[in-house]
Amino acid sequence: MSSELILREEYLADKAKVFISGEIDIYTAQQFKDKLYSVVDNSSMDLVIDCSGLNYIDSTGLGIFVGALKKTRLAGRSIQLDNIRENIRKLFVITGLDKLFIIN
Amino acid sequence: MVSPDRIALVLPYKADYVSVTRLTTSGIASRMGFDIETVEDIKVAVSEVCSRIINAAAGLDGSFEVLFDISKESLNITFVSSIEKIRCIFKDDEDGLGIAIINAFMDKVEFCPESDNYILSMTKTFEVISGDGL
Repeated sequence: MSSELILREEYLADKAKVFISGEIDIYTAQQFKDKLYSVVDNSSMDLVIDCSGLNYIDSTGLGIFVGALKKTRLAGRSIQLDNIRENIRKLFVITGLDKLFIIN
Repeated sequence: MVSPDRIALVLPYKADYVSVTRLTTSGIASRMGFDIETVEDIKVAVSEVCSRIINAAAGLDGSFEVLFDISKESLNITFVSSIEKIRCIFKDDEDGLGIAIINAFMDKVEFCPESDNYILSMTKTFEVISGDGL
């Protein structure tokens, strides 16, 4: 079964960036969690997640975002979500998570 | 009274195939004439339930059913499993994200039905526009 999620990271001078392309659901969640948590652990900078390629997420994926946010906050850092599509933003609003994340 | 048309999807308790439920849901909801945003909403709600069922099944063999009942007024989706422990699957939804999403996207949801015949049922109804509107 082919992967439906492609993740890429970049470490810049002032931030770490993760680029998401595809779908985050129960099938791809572990892959996403492993990558996201790894970037959080391997960087001392704020995290920017580019969601321009993210076309599906559900509560499984949202829970991983929340977990990553907790980790970064403990370290005094932030997570910013960039280029979120409207259907994805809607999920953050419905669940109240738009108040926890910096969303551009 | 005309009986609804029924489309039945039978799936193994495997995460691999949750995306198939989304594709099926999109196809059915689009065919029924729901707008694109509503199609997305229904798709997410169905996927939420399927994910929860698969988690509850925890690698068991067998399969569950997703039944789509299509009428002119609404789409009713029922989830069926013969495994006894797969009941009230959202009762342990600690962060409440799944319930919030499903309640927001569907018009009527039976999270914990009294009947043993199904796990959960949810309905999306076509909006009725009164007056001279379309």
